[in-house]
Amino acid sequence: MRALVIDDSRAMRRIVSGILEGLGYETQQAGHGREGLDVLDGGWLPELVCVDWNMPVMDGLQFVSAVRSNPAWRSMTIMMVTSESEQTQIVKALAAGAHEYVIKPFTADAIRDKLALLGLLPQEASL
Amino acid sequence: MTLTTTSFDWVRQLVHRESAIVLQPGKEYLVEARLLPIARQAGVPDVSQFVEKVRTRPDPDSTRRIVEALTTNETSWFRDGDPFTALTSTVLPALLADRGPNERLHIWSAACSSGQEAYTIAMLLEDALPNAASRVSITATDISREMVERTRAGRFSQLEVNRGLPAPMLVRHFTRAGSEWEVAPALRRMVTASECNLAAPFPRMGPFDVVYLRNVLIYFDLPTKQAILRRVRDVMRPDGWLFLGAAETTLGVDDSWERVVVGRSSAYRPLKGK
Amino acid sequence: MTATDTGERRRGSDARPLITDLIDEATVESIAQEAWVALVGEDEILVPLPGDAPVDPVSSWVDVVGPWTGSIVLTTGRRTAEELSRALLREASPEVLEEEDVVDAFGEIANVVGGNVKAALPGPSGLSLPEVGEAPAVRNPGDLCRIDVLWRGEPVSISVQGALPPLPTAP
Repeated sequence: MRALVIDDSRAMRRIVSGILEGLGYETQQAGHGREGLDVLDGGWLPELVCVDWNMPVMDGLQFVSAVRSNPAWRSMTIMMVTSESEQTQIVKALAAGAHEYVIKPFTADAIRDKLALLGLLPQEASL
Repeated sequence: MTLTTTSFDWVRQLVHRESAIVLQPGKEYLVEARLLPIARQAGVPDVSQFVEKVRTRPDPDSTRRIVEALTTNETSWFRDGDPFTALTSTVLPALLADRGPNERLHIWSAACSSGQEAYTIAMLLEDALPNAASRVSITATDISREMVERTRAGRFSQLEVNRGLPAPMLVRHFTRAGSEWEVAPALRRMVTASECNLAAPFPRMGPFDVVYLRNVLIYFDLPTKQAILRRVRDVMRPDGWLFLGAAETTLGVDDSWERVVVGRSSAYRPLKGK
Repeated sequence: MTATDTGERRRGSDARPLITDLIDEATVESIAQEAWVALVGEDEILVPLPGDAPVDPVSSWVDVVGPWTGSIVLTTGRRTAEELSRALLREASPEVLEEEDVVDAFGEIANVVGGNVKAALPGPSGLSLPEVGEAPAVRNPGDLCRIDVLWRGEPVSISVQGALPPLPTAP
């Protein structure tokens, strides 16, 4: 399975990608929403996108809306991974079309648990 | 005093036996950090002394706390979701069909720790039943007073709500309270928390329609397991449902239960005439 | 709790909230503890003790703009900021840590702590991208909530500080 990790922090991209690769994902990274859309436009279509909220150029909420406006990308699961944790903001992200929301700080177990809920744990990692 | 090799090895073997998780040598520091709060609760100032005490005089509750503190799996919400899916897909419709429209449903979350299981059940029922608050009562018990108080408070840290609680349920059933999240008052009213030592005669309670007794029997010896299952049966309705942990069973322990497959999970029901 | 109850503060809370009315040290500390355990490492504990001020301080911060406006500022010594960055990157940590690695990782810690502090305040508020450098000045000592902790024996301070100067005292 494939996952796109979008975060303006390189350290955070590496952490999230590391967790996903450990679970059996093949990953690509992008530094903001626009770069993320470029990856998708380039034809690399992942099952899962983990996206931060506050980023330069294009933020995570704009990215979610952009993905949701393209019917070809409908099957993509979007999980916000962000320190933005006001309740109203979580509601806004879910309403815009994100499926799940992981609040930073998180542990590797938290990502794994959410993927289990979404049915997105690669088979070899689900034992 | 730092953790002795004997103590550390004993903890490693215990955790491996009960959870299949391997603690590598060099993780002594982690064991100390995670067990210090439990040792203090038990009135022992030092982790090594505490481990020695439990090692030489085994006590199922402390054993369970040690494993939980080092594995943290038991305290996540829907992580092991099958027994909860079974509740709403099969058990609840069956109970609603059999019971009168005004009859209350009684559910017991035994060894509830800080209350995630009890509130998970409360959330599911609130979403499934229009009048859940007046229709359902959930009893949550634990041997530890501190855990009972935590369950009553219904407050969870950011790291706790990140573990296997779907985001739509978080925003629907919790509100932010400082750095923590607090369960909605409607759910707190459904849950009554009290102290209960499973290994001793139970206080007056029940009869229950559904009992969740997960990941706790494994810590007891066979005669105690048998006594607990007998007492559980005594506080259950004859057509009630018992859920055990995925690695637990009544088979070979107590033959007065019938195992039934419910979705991807198993439940146990009292056998008639036993 | 530690804020002095001056007339200035009373007038302040009528017009706009001060941070000491909105959050306490214990909440900031528990947010920081969780951030450290999750980001830096699961056995990384912050000890709530003040240390000597670092000789070579560096800060990372995010700004919050909303019903309360100010910054969440982390300050520590440069060596400690580098060590934090390495801990964050774990096995992905490069042999030689570039300045931009430290800016990125130390800034991300401010983002995580700041985002959670923001969520504990009345909202809605906006959160800026993190910055790293010399800490913004404390504009109003009455609008400050600060904790001092030790990480691996080194001092780290976290201050939640208002962006606005005190209101002028009425004649």
